[in-house]
Amino acid sequence: MTTQQLRPIVSVFPIKGKVKTIKQVPLPSVFSAPIRPDVVRFVHTNMAKNNRQAHAVSTTAGEQTSATSWGTGRAVARIPRVKGSGTGRSGQAAFGNMCRGGRMYAPKKVWRKWHRKINTNQKRYAVCSAIAATAVTPLVMSRGHRVNKLPELPLVVSDQLQSLTKTRQAVKFLKFIGAYRDVEKVIRTKKTRVGQGKYRNRRHVLRKGPMVVYARNLGIKKAFRNIPGVETASVYTLNLLKLAPGSQMGRFIIWTESAFKLLEDIYGSWEKPSKFKSGFYLPRPVMVNTDVERIIKSDQVQTVLRNRRPRSRKYGKKIQRADPYEDMSVMLKLNPYYKTKLQKQKELEEKNKEERKEIVDKSRKEYEDWLYFSEEEEEEEEEGSDEDREIEVLSDEN
Amino acid sequence: MSKQVPETIKKQVKRSFNSKEVKKEKNQKRMTLLKDIQSKAFKRAEKYEKEYLDQEQKLVELKQKALKEGSFYREPEPKLAFIIRIRGIVGVPPKPRKILQLLRLRRIYSGVFIRLNKSSLRMLHFIDPYVTWGYPDVETVRALIYKRGHARVNHQRKIIDSNEMIYDKLQKYDIICMEDLVHEIYTVGKNFKHANSFLWAFKLKPPVGGFSTVKRSFVNKGEHGNREQYINTLVKKMI
Repeated sequence: MTTQQLRPIVSVFPIKGKVKTIKQVPLPSVFSAPIRPDVVRFVHTNMAKNNRQAHAVSTTAGEQTSATSWGTGRAVARIPRVKGSGTGRSGQAAFGNMCRGGRMYAPKKVWRKWHRKINTNQKRYAVCSAIAATAVTPLVMSRGHRVNKLPELPLVVSDQLQSLTKTRQAVKFLKFIGAYRDVEKVIRTKKTRVGQGKYRNRRHVLRKGPMVVYARNLGIKKAFRNIPGVETASVYTLNLLKLAPGSQMGRFIIWTESAFKLLEDIYGSWEKPSKFKSGFYLPRPVMVNTDVERIIKSDQVQTVLRNRRPRSRKYGKKIQRADPYEDMSVMLKLNPYYKTKLQKQKELEEKNKEERKEIVDKSRKEYEDWLYFSEEEEEEEEEGSDEDREIEVLSDEN
Repeated sequence: MSKQVPETIKKQVKRSFNSKEVKKEKNQKRMTLLKDIQSKAFKRAEKYEKEYLDQEQKLVELKQKALKEGSFYREPEPKLAFIIRIRGIVGVPPKPRKILQLLRLRRIYSGVFIRLNKSSLRMLHFIDPYVTWGYPDVETVRALIYKRGHARVNHQRKIIDSNEMIYDKLQKYDIICMEDLVHEIYTVGKNFKHANSFLWAFKLKPPVGGFSTVKRSFVNKGEHGNREQYINTLVKKMI
């Protein structure tokens, strides 16, 4: 993770006096672990089952009768009935889960699987996610913590906090740092539990307030013990059920300086493994760069997309075009020579016509000449044979 | 946040293919290209007209010469055929069906040009009952391509409305205008395959005046099979 080479700085605040930075420490790599609510939910639901106590129904409950079915033919249901007489119980149905005084359906057994195994890596992933979420102000606020007046989140405080012994001192500190509003919320919303837990020694329900994480307990545990809503924890043993109560990430945590620094050793980073959890590196996110809009608009992605864009717009939508043999402009667009071709054809036709005319005229003339010439011959012949004609005439008259 | 122009908008403005100047330049280039194509098309069309005329005359001369000598002139066998599918798609056996698919004759009254060689003639033999085919002349080829010629562009069937379309696809085969295309198809040139596949299969209309009987072959007073030069009259009725 290149971003981790420049780690952001977190201010360390004193526990009294003035609220100002006395020191600055780099942010441990855990806080950049991927925030995975799905992983946290899964691990939390299974982890929460691990502090259950076995309960069951008595094995003999409902079975302590020698009831037998009366069988058919007696106009009663075939359920086993209590033997004997002289008491109201006799003849009553027994054994069935539907019967009064019968045993329940599938009586609960002690050997029900109460606890759940979770893969160690998954557990660690969830814890890393939960710790990372405690530094995200919107998540902490959405969890319901009153963090408006805090100087900074994550809130890191000097190690002197670990040496507090009196509750009064602890309360004074919380007020000083601006965390007391969260405690006030807890006090204000203390209620009687809804449901039967109230008479099973779980009478009151409290919200969760700030959690104070220390490296060494020099009295801090006892100092904060009696403040409602506040929990303390050693940084070596952070519990997911406390970091993400109800599988809701974003607990408000107050870190002591040494505890904060130890996070780097306890959870490691992506390059260096954890010193305390053998072979454990911080989980890697699926996406390194989550700015999806920027990725999409980047040059590298846009050039590829642009090259894949359909290019058919060049010719536009369905083109309507007239028949080139009917529309000359369309024809000329396709074949600019066409007009010239027609002209040439016309010229050729004209030329042929003329040639033909010449030939026809010539042959006609020849024919006429022949005709004229033969007429002359006929006339000569006719002059020679006048007498014959006259004789013919005479004969006609006769 | 101060009122800054988002980085992505800045990039968009900078990108050259959106700017007016680049668009103008592109357009100018295109215009000069179009002019060039049209001038070339004019010259080529002229050349081809002369070529066709010469071909005809040559044929006549050779025939006359042979007659004088008392022998025969055997014309070269036709290289080009135009096939029209004249039967529908119902009840076609698998082999003819596949061959019709390969020849792009997927619907009734669709027509394609095909180069005639031993293999294609064998294919035609199998699909004879479903098609009629023959040897088109120049005017038929022209009419088909001009009036009913559609190009296969981007897997789409688009009517050829300018020489630019042809230039874009077939420039590398030296076919840049309609006349080039007609010439390539009619003379079955070196790039006949590309010219032919550029053309979508012709969708013709049912013939004016109808068919006699598609069930019989043309030789038997029907319609299917080889009808040699009479394909030209049929296409005129179907175009």
